[in-house]
Amino acid sequence: MLLLEYHNLLIHQILTERFNSPTPASIDQVIPDFDGVIYHISTPDTKTKILVSLSIKCYNDLIRYGAQEVLQREYGNYIVEPESGYDFSLLLDLENLPEDQEQKDDLIRRVSLLKRNAMAAPFERAFDTHYTLSAESSKFTSESAPSSSDTEVMAIQYRDEEAIYIKPSHDRVTVIFSTVFREETDRVFGKVFLQEFVDARRRAIQNAPQVLYRTDPPLEIRGLKGVVDTGAGDVGYVTFVLFPRHLKPDRRDEVISHIQTFRDYFHYHIKAAKAYMHSRMRKRVSDFQKYLNRAKPENADKERKTASGRSFRVQN
Amino acid sequence: MSTSQTPAVVMDNGTGYSKLGFAGNDAPSWVFPTAIATKAASGGGSGGGRPAVAQKPSFLTGGAGPSGHLSSKRGTEDLDFFIGDEALNAAKGPGYGIDYPIRHGQIENWDHMERFWQSSIFKYLRVEPEDHYFLLTEPPLNPPESRESTAEIMFESFNCAGLYIAVQAVLALAASWTSSKVQDRSLTGTVIDSGDGVTHVIPVAEGYVIGSSIRSIPIAGRDITYFVQSLLRDRGEPDSSLKTAESIKEEFCYVCPDIVKEFSKYDREPDKFQKYVVDQGAGRKVTVDVGYERFLAPEIFFNPEINSSDFLTPLPEVVDGVIQSSPIDVRKGLYKNIVLSGGSTLYKDFGRRLQRDIRHLVDARIRLSEQRAGTSVRSSGLEVSVITHKRQRYGPWFGGSLLGQTPEFRSYCHTKQEYDEIGPSIVRRFALLGGPGGNA
Repeated sequence: MLLLEYHNLLIHQILTERFNSPTPASIDQVIPDFDGVIYHISTPDTKTKILVSLSIKCYNDLIRYGAQEVLQREYGNYIVEPESGYDFSLLLDLENLPEDQEQKDDLIRRVSLLKRNAMAAPFERAFDTHYTLSAESSKFTSESAPSSSDTEVMAIQYRDEEAIYIKPSHDRVTVIFSTVFREETDRVFGKVFLQEFVDARRRAIQNAPQVLYRTDPPLEIRGLKGVVDTGAGDVGYVTFVLFPRHLKPDRRDEVISHIQTFRDYFHYHIKAAKAYMHSRMRKRVSDFQKYLNRAKPENADKERKTASGRSFRVQN
Repeated sequence: MSTSQTPAVVMDNGTGYSKLGFAGNDAPSWVFPTAIATKAASGGGSGGGRPAVAQKPSFLTGGAGPSGHLSSKRGTEDLDFFIGDEALNAAKGPGYGIDYPIRHGQIENWDHMERFWQSSIFKYLRVEPEDHYFLLTEPPLNPPESRESTAEIMFESFNCAGLYIAVQAVLALAASWTSSKVQDRSLTGTVIDSGDGVTHVIPVAEGYVIGSSIRSIPIAGRDITYFVQSLLRDRGEPDSSLKTAESIKEEFCYVCPDIVKEFSKYDREPDKFQKYVVDQGAGRKVTVDVGYERFLAPEIFFNPEINSSDFLTPLPEVVDGVIQSSPIDVRKGLYKNIVLSGGSTLYKDFGRRLQRDIRHLVDARIRLSEQRAGTSVRSSGLEVSVITHKRQRYGPWFGGSLLGQTPEFRSYCHTKQEYDEIGPSIVRRFALLGGPGGNA
């Protein structure tokens, strides 16, 4: 498994099972997802009505950047008043499902992508801003193009200490992740890993987005609320520069899904790398143990005899 | 850290199946075989199914050509694996070999287990381990070294926020608190844990396992399946595959109070015989008759001689023996709280029959001692009670879920900071969860 899935496998599984089973059953499960997202899937009133609720840390940020419209577009009629303690709820009525199996599967898929869709809003907005800006700027010659610094930087505080910053401009969309590592080892792994991103672009995949890593806030977000340069370098900033070829409307959804999972992907691979290192260490240890076993003298207590066949006995 | 409200992750990795989920839920989110399918190492590999281990990245060796051994490969081979049901599917195709990292309840292959956990956490549970506390289970008499290795993986690879490792039997006792029969939430009792491979009888006194008195019985789910299969074969049924036998076992079997009476009952009431339809695929369906195996199969717990002559002690006698070998001051509690756990204890009336048989043994012994003591002494009797409850199948997991959601749970865990301070030996001791020290 190289990439993480974008959808929540468990929700997908539960809904597939419920949608295709003739006998309704009650469900009451709390399902966490990455980044402190918590789903609650339950059947509060009757067994045929499934309520899927989502709680996400940065919901207010997302609403500010147009999550409402995106969710409305994706889920439309299924949206209900949010369950208390959660930010957003969907009600699926098993007796009122689309007839077609394909549509059913599509609905399951869409619901399991709830987190992705909620998080997609600021990205979509940034992409749209980019389209309009680039349409405008195409009217100008390259010298007289308006400077891109006047667009708003969208900040999504998706974890307690970490945030995503998105800044659209006429020729690119810049996405910046701030990352915090608690562990010294993780920091080292993270650095190597990010270096690999930079190298990959140089070596093989030329059309990958540009990736920059630094420990002080990049220019784009300097001075923003919540961005403090401590100077200690304990917060890293990863910058992705998405160029127009990444922002084509037909690849947009894929790109958004991809970049959203970056942090989890990053942490997953750091952990996978550590697991891999551990298995190498175990292998090395077992090899060394083999050498040690080989170094044991062979039957050290061989009985020594005289020519006449008598043996010595240790006196004590 | 954003750990303040995240539910704890409860993972019960058994020999056959892994139960994964979150504390507070009433059922595990995922139940799948504890199996991992990895790219089969060429030439058999060394060290018994050890995964490919790279010596040096290929750009350092200058790409010195294929050395045949997987250890020289660089790239993402270490991520090329499947776990659970996907592993079973992948192993059917070419290129993948299957491995079960847990044998007899204990982790044998740490490399595979580490990757099994990695995939469980990131693919199936989808959590960032740094944000969650973890509750893992271990079999009774798990060596402390094994605990330490588990802690090393959980803390060093995954940086999990906190860890608690509980004994399965103790969690099974906690799971029985949901039964209406249980009044006091004590952690004293006898756990009968019967899974697929082996059945354990484990006495637990105030949350601590009495290690010297544990007995295991080589009769469990798989043996019952084989027994059903042999009965089907003897009768010459059209389909006697293991899968058919298993579904018949799960669907139709129950425990009867008396075999002889049950036989005559079947002769009188023909509707006791049932039919099972097997879908052999490609539209072919055959019907299999289901007869005496309905009550004979679980009977091998009570009369093992009908199955094989290797092991002849009936389960009630084993339980009685276990309790008799335990310290005398806890025996009363052990008789009073016999808790069932695991899939092979789910047969209808299993608990009732067990309770009756154990009570017979106990009463007979009391009568004998009364006779020996003379007529003047009368015993007040001894309460024998077998607890059957709804959460039996995933008992240990459910107990973990129950205890993991209590507000005190986190204070019982060892945190990452403590681990960094003290080292792996910290997990040799855990405060007793929900025990006398706590108020759970």
